[in-house]
Amino acid sequence: MATATTTAGEVQVTNLVNYTLVKLHVAMGLIFFIIVGLMGFLYSLQLDGIYPFPGIEFLSPGRVRMIHTAGAAYGFLVNMFTGLLYWAVPRFTGYKVFDEKYLGGFLFIGLQAAVLITVVAILFLGQADNVEWGETPWWLDPIIVAWLLLHAVQFGTPIIKASQKAPLYVTGWYISAMLVWTPLVVFMGNFIPRFWSAGSGAGAVQSTFIHDLVGLYVTPVAWGLMYYFVPVIMKKPMWSHGLSLLGFWGLAFFYPLNGVHHFLWSPIPMFAQYSAVFATVAIEFAVTSVLINFMMTLRGSAEVLKYNVPLRYMYTGAIFYWITCFQCAFHVTLTFQKVIHFTDWVTGHAHLIMFGTFGMWVLGMAEYVWPRLFGKETMYSKGMSEGAYWLLTIGVIAMFVDLTAAGLVQGFDWIGLNPWIDSVNFSKPFWYFRSVAGIMMLTGLLMYAMNFYKTATAGKGLEAQLRNA
Amino acid sequence: MVKMERFPFIVLVAGLGFFLFADFVSWALPIFVLKDIPMKKVSDLAAEAKAKNTSAWADFERIAQYYPEQFKKYYGEVNEKSFQKALEIGHRWYVAEGCWNCHSQMIRPVSNETLRFGIPGVSNTVSYPSEYQNELQAPVLWGTKRIGPDLIREAAVHNVDWQVAHLYDPQTTSPGTNMPGYPWYFEKDKNGNIVPNERGIGLLTYIMWLGSWEVKPTKEWALK
Repeated sequence: MATATTTAGEVQVTNLVNYTLVKLHVAMGLIFFIIVGLMGFLYSLQLDGIYPFPGIEFLSPGRVRMIHTAGAAYGFLVNMFTGLLYWAVPRFTGYKVFDEKYLGGFLFIGLQAAVLITVVAILFLGQADNVEWGETPWWLDPIIVAWLLLHAVQFGTPIIKASQKAPLYVTGWYISAMLVWTPLVVFMGNFIPRFWSAGSGAGAVQSTFIHDLVGLYVTPVAWGLMYYFVPVIMKKPMWSHGLSLLGFWGLAFFYPLNGVHHFLWSPIPMFAQYSAVFATVAIEFAVTSVLINFMMTLRGSAEVLKYNVPLRYMYTGAIFYWITCFQCAFHVTLTFQKVIHFTDWVTGHAHLIMFGTFGMWVLGMAEYVWPRLFGKETMYSKGMSEGAYWLLTIGVIAMFVDLTAAGLVQGFDWIGLNPWIDSVNFSKPFWYFRSVAGIMMLTGLLMYAMNFYKTATAGKGLEAQLRNA
Repeated sequence: MVKMERFPFIVLVAGLGFFLFADFVSWALPIFVLKDIPMKKVSDLAAEAKAKNTSAWADFERIAQYYPEQFKKYYGEVNEKSFQKALEIGHRWYVAEGCWNCHSQMIRPVSNETLRFGIPGVSNTVSYPSEYQNELQAPVLWGTKRIGPDLIREAAVHNVDWQVAHLYDPQTTSPGTNMPGYPWYFEKDKNGNIVPNERGIGLLTYIMWLGSWEVKPTKEWALK
């Protein structure tokens, strides 16, 4: 797209993207990523029995854990994705977003304010909501829905304009659908179980919400951006347009039906549970078709992975994605659920998808975008770039394997009717190891952030140096 | 096929159509199926506890006897109103404290859960929809993770004395546990004893209420 020439066309392309907004959102997303990582690490210390702040009300581990989950959703992912959308949407549509100065500024400040209010409300005011991943206090949720609607206007405008001229590129399909889904999901998940339903009915809605926030916000944005960044970096088109279509429509049809699989063997009517199991197994085929498309695109260019760290992040994440989905096709069955429900197996699964896939993807995309935002050719340090990648990758694999094993130990121990404390004692080695994996991941993140900071602040001298080298 | 790649088609079919279809199947239908179960307000739950003289009601009286100074100060007399107030405060802090991150409130019909949670022969039934059809389960508190045991049949498992010690310092009752203590639910009375405060009494009432409707026969507390 934007090459380093100085033709009139290039000037136009550069002006399409508001660099400040991308920088602000990506930087805040990275800061929140580190904060929620720290919160998760703190909580894991409680499980190890070495929590450093016992007896302090506002640092109670239960409250810290809600910051870990809600912060990951709104502070980290929404910030990162919004920043990357500001980069990608104008570039693939050829039109600017609705309004950069006022709406863009308002969306940025509004999002940070919403996250900070959530942190204060949960830690200090005791105002949490018992919807997992929607722990934001319920009186804040209408504001979040309003924010999402404005965000839909912001990014919907260029997409509608582009759609009137020609069929949309794959990224456009995912983003258009996401812009409609997300406000609906947040509204339904937070209000129906509180005001219009209770008990098992509320459970059905809440499980749909947990799943839809992943499946209808995070997944479509992330895949949309993947369909944009991967061909751009490799400078070649996707392998198959047909598979792109299949992947998108498969996701769009089956993903929303999956939710109830979070509460199998619960008092929710069985037909809803069975349909969720069926739809979940079905979606693994759609996922596999997407993966085949990406792997075949890579064919013949695999050596790019050797030196291109952003692309390596993206493909590592894609492989983790397929592992997660393959695992899901099995553990979603009622048989597996007997053992692994309520155990750390699920926690391992969640970390592999949220950190291993979506975390790695946004880190890779951000690493691609960041030097370009500051007029640099590469990141400040190749060493830090590689170091961060390997620490994050090994860390998340270690955590996933460890928690999966811990889940099996816990599940069988509970079935065996041993005293409860046994399952805690048996889990402790796994929990210690999980904290160590957490330290690896946090170190990788800090290294990554350091590299970001240096890339942004290192002077022109570095640029000249790199050019000469 | 090109139509499928335009904004209006994607938004209408995938964005709205598929989404509403899915929500119809996965939560609107279940809600329709469950709609005949009466929805209980917190005041109904309090009235029921008193009318049936469940173990929760007896435990509430017991808390009032244990900590008369604090109980009088924060809740006044033992009656339906004060029981309702205690339940609401207890539920609010159970949610705010993230108790539901580590304790589920659902007994599944598999994996020996009916044997593990509750007391066999007294209160070890599997979870059923109507016991969740009340204001304190909106949103529902099933949870998704167990670090500690399930609590929906807790009423018959431990008594108030145990709960008080456990809440203040879990190590005293469950050595080796990794549950944190919650000293901010306690205060000093005029004799310098550590006793539950307003939130503490609420939380104890709420925990002792969990599963009290399943305790059979009703516990007869000999309070003299």
